Amino acid sequence: MPDTHFYHYDDFDRTLVAERVEQFRDQVRRRLAGELTEEQFKPLRLTNGLYLQLHAYMLRIAIPYGTLSTRQLRQLAAIARKYDRGYGHFTTRQNLQLNWIKLEDAPDAVAMLAEVDMHSIQTSGNVVRNTTADHFAGAAADEIEDPRVWCEIVRQWSTLHPEFSFLPRKFKIAITGSPNDRAAVRIHDVGLRLWRNPQGETGFEVIVGGGLGRTPMIGKTVRAFLPKDEMLAYLEAVLRVYNRYGRRDNLFKARIKILVHEIGVDKMREEVEAEYATMKDGGLRLDPQTIEAIARQFAPPPLPHRPAVVGAVEGLKLEEPDFALWLKSNTAPHRLAGYRIVTASLKPAGAPPGDASSVQMEGVADIADAYSQSEVRVSHEQNLVLPHVAIEDLPAVYRALARLGFAEANVGKITDIIACPGLDYCALANARSIPVAQRISNHFSSLARQHDIGDLKIKISGCINACGHHHVGHIGILGVDKNGVELYQISLGGDVDFGRTALGDIIGPAVEADRIVEAVDALVRTYLDRRDAGERFVDTYRRLGVEPFKESVYAAV
Amino acid sequence: MAKNLSGDLTVASANRLSDGVVVFLDDKGQWTRHLERAALARDTRAGEILLERAKAEAFSVVDPFLVAVSEDGRGALEPVSLREKIRVSGLTFAAIAADAVRYA
Repeated sequence: MPDTHFYHYDDFDRTLVAERVEQFRDQVRRRLAGELTEEQFKPLRLTNGLYLQLHAYMLRIAIPYGTLSTRQLRQLAAIARKYDRGYGHFTTRQNLQLNWIKLEDAPDAVAMLAEVDMHSIQTSGNVVRNTTADHFAGAAADEIEDPRVWCEIVRQWSTLHPEFSFLPRKFKIAITGSPNDRAAVRIHDVGLRLWRNPQGETGFEVIVGGGLGRTPMIGKTVRAFLPKDEMLAYLEAVLRVYNRYGRRDNLFKARIKILVHEIGVDKMREEVEAEYATMKDGGLRLDPQTIEAIARQFAPPPLPHRPAVVGAVEGLKLEEPDFALWLKSNTAPHRLAGYRIVTASLKPAGAPPGDASSVQMEGVADIADAYSQSEVRVSHEQNLVLPHVAIEDLPAVYRALARLGFAEANVGKITDIIACPGLDYCALANARSIPVAQRISNHFSSLARQHDIGDLKIKISGCINACGHHHVGHIGILGVDKNGVELYQISLGGDVDFGRTALGDIIGPAVEADRIVEAVDALVRTYLDRRDAGERFVDTYRRLGVEPFKESVYAAV
Repeated sequence: MAKNLSGDLTVASANRLSDGVVVFLDDKGQWTRHLERAALARDTRAGEILLERAKAEAFSVVDPFLVAVSEDGRGALEPVSLREKIRVSGLTFAAIAADAVRYA
């Protein structure tokens, strides 16, 4: 069984990570011995992804471009079992968070990560964070090129980059290789979209200054077409401009989106191009051999021919309505006709979104070994993906996922909710997210009803930092604290899929926690009453405007 | 870390250095996991003194701060804010079930 069809660490990577483990081990030892104060230690632990949350330390583990081998997934399960409480939380940045790590165990946990070529470096701090990608990369039918090749190049360049170790603020990059953006590239500090120009060449649209949080912004295009071999030098130019002009006097105005907003996209483009002109023929221009050497490691797995139409699958669709629904919502077209991409929903009715126990992680690894080339993806929508499943094997995969609780036919539906950890875990949160998601999920648990409602994305954040991406939810829910009471602000009309990026509109006063289900129910009823044929919730909202939805919500709560 | 809240009744809290567990300073200057054993400051000045004591005893904890609490007729303490209630009581939902319980 192959280990990976993606980048393998070389000696340099392994040495770097191993040295970091030992440095961190010594830092933790010195902190526990009282040789370092918390003030001295905090930046050291944060740069290794170790946060102190409400009631425990939290370790944020990088999953580069959301791609995992089954060996790595099993190791994550083992770490969660040995050093945490037997479960982890997959995040909107394709990372994994372990919420109950002890400081004294953290060095051993990161040592276990290093054993499988993983780490938690740069998952915090004002640095370039884990570069995210389309979770269907390398498998999607609509893909132009595998974006992970470029993510890996960015990873190597940005890891411990000395010039960008003290940026004004954190910096997030996402790359998609498909015309149907699944990586939310317009809400990142830099988004790169691979596309093919009229001459038939592939290159990047470079989008800068997107982001959510306190001041949500949709990224602006600073370069419509960038030849691929210029990608790294151009990124360095963007980072240099940001490093030079980004604000350091105000935490809330320090992201690159504020710089782009304040100086305007034309001035930003002018600055970046001027910087780029000084360096474009320098050492960062990527030579074809370098690109090819990395691309080779992402060579698609050798998938044998398998039938595209399978009698047993067609039969099961008729016998089991839930299987038919699952095929419709949880599988997507593969580049090969005899295969599908399967999404394992980490959102069974009433469960904390994105959470998986060690047993479940191991179960997914077993399924991937048997049916998906030993490879698993993490989506920014907090699900796991099996990228290469033969259509013939779909019934077996469905049943195996069902045994794990991950076969809910709800991907893209109202219960496929994105939710941040919220006030139950997070020291920054103002209100709870997960219990709200659970109540909505339970209320809409009927699969038939969910499929009648159709595509509807609910995204919930427990504070304005927007880790739950509420600004781009068809229904966005933001928890706020008003005089010690949890209230939830509702926004409508956000979107992030397939390049249709839009920010939602706040509909009015926040509603009380115990009325949020009624509010969502009222929104859904309004949509069902007023939709035209083929309209998604968000389409109906755009056609009708906010008023009918607003009226129904405030009549219900 | 959790925000400081002003209030008449306060206790000193922190997270234990070794594992992050929520702890409170008791009357003997020891850190305890039990809110009911926490030293209680009944006014602002007493709170300031309690916080100074907590900072002086902070070798094994991280960033002590004052937590506003209420006291019922029997002397039982409860944090005022939801954040601090969650710090004391833990998650408000059932975390995903332990391996052996749900999916084994």
